[in-house]
Amino acid sequence: MTQSSHDTWTVTIVVPEESSLDEAGTTSEIAVNADETILAAARSAGVWLPADCQQGWCTTCAARLTDGEVVHPNARRYYDADREAGYVLLCTAKPRADTTIVVDQYDDFLEFRAANDKPPGNSKLNR
Amino acid sequence: MSEEKTHGSGAVEPGDTSTRVGAEVIRERGVDPEELREKLIDAIGAEFTTYYYYTNLRMHLAGEEDYKEITEDARLEDRAHFELVVPRVYELEGSLPNDIRDFADRASCPDAEVPTPMDDTGGFDTSDLEVEDILEVLLEAERCAIRTWSEICDMTREADPRTYDMAQRILNEEMDHEAWFIELLSKERDGEINPAGHFARGEPGDAPYSTNNRFNDSA
Repeated sequence: MTQSSHDTWTVTIVVPEESSLDEAGTTSEIAVNADETILAAARSAGVWLPADCQQGWCTTCAARLTDGEVVHPNARRYYDADREAGYVLLCTAKPRADTTIVVDQYDDFLEFRAANDKPPGNSKLNR
Repeated sequence: MSEEKTHGSGAVEPGDTSTRVGAEVIRERGVDPEELREKLIDAIGAEFTTYYYYTNLRMHLAGEEDYKEITEDARLEDRAHFELVVPRVYELEGSLPNDIRDFADRASCPDAEVPTPMDDTGGFDTSDLEVEDILEVLLEAERCAIRTWSEICDMTREADPRTYDMAQRILNEEMDHEAWFIELLSKERDGEINPAGHFARGEPGDAPYSTNNRFNDSA
């Protein structure tokens, strides 16, 4: 565990090979304060992750939590089922432990939300 | 001899009405026009829902005539943004959802609801509703819009000047709106002078950036 007296955690960002992001296939580590969102910390560190509303609503920033713990105190649309399935919204996610995330999961997350009849899943996919 | 000449039409066959060069030129420049179109629908979904929710927010700024008027400017300009971009969705071979619930569900920004619960009679429980709470909802709605239109500017820059032009006009007005609500919230909540740097519109919902080159007159 790398928690310091300032509650800073190490977040490992995995960008899948199949991602369309410039960083596809790379893994990077950033330091994130407990009161800082992972998205903001990543962008500050030069890792440009997708996002839109930055209020935990649109789900553009969806990622998978593979290790560690985050909280979403300010997310406007984040459900228990999302957490149970290991999905996180990086724009509002704040670490509570050293954490590993797989980013660029928007398409998969829309499918997940649709399967659980939660927005914006079906409104986006049933066009 | 003109009858011997063929039309120069690139990858689109002469006379083919099934494909739009206006979309293909965007694809040639590296942007998926279908992905862009869907993002535009999300963005104008947020403008439309904001127009609706601001109606309620404005009403509940009771007695605060200056706040009401500025909120009305933002409300009408958000509707103008919706109107501005709807034709672009159709140009890119899209359409608005038939069900307005789908439109609201996919809006790229949160519902800007009056920050108070409903009472037992189905009305708003205004007993603890504070002006500063409404102003904070307005401010965060504008901030979301700034992020959305910035994303669309990023997506279309150097690839789709027509959509980029619309997005940057809207972005100009959303940034105005944020400045207004920062000024008002600073004064109301914190007693601080935090000037927006500009004054109210000439007419309610003037939309000086997004309507000075109208694509239609429906707004």
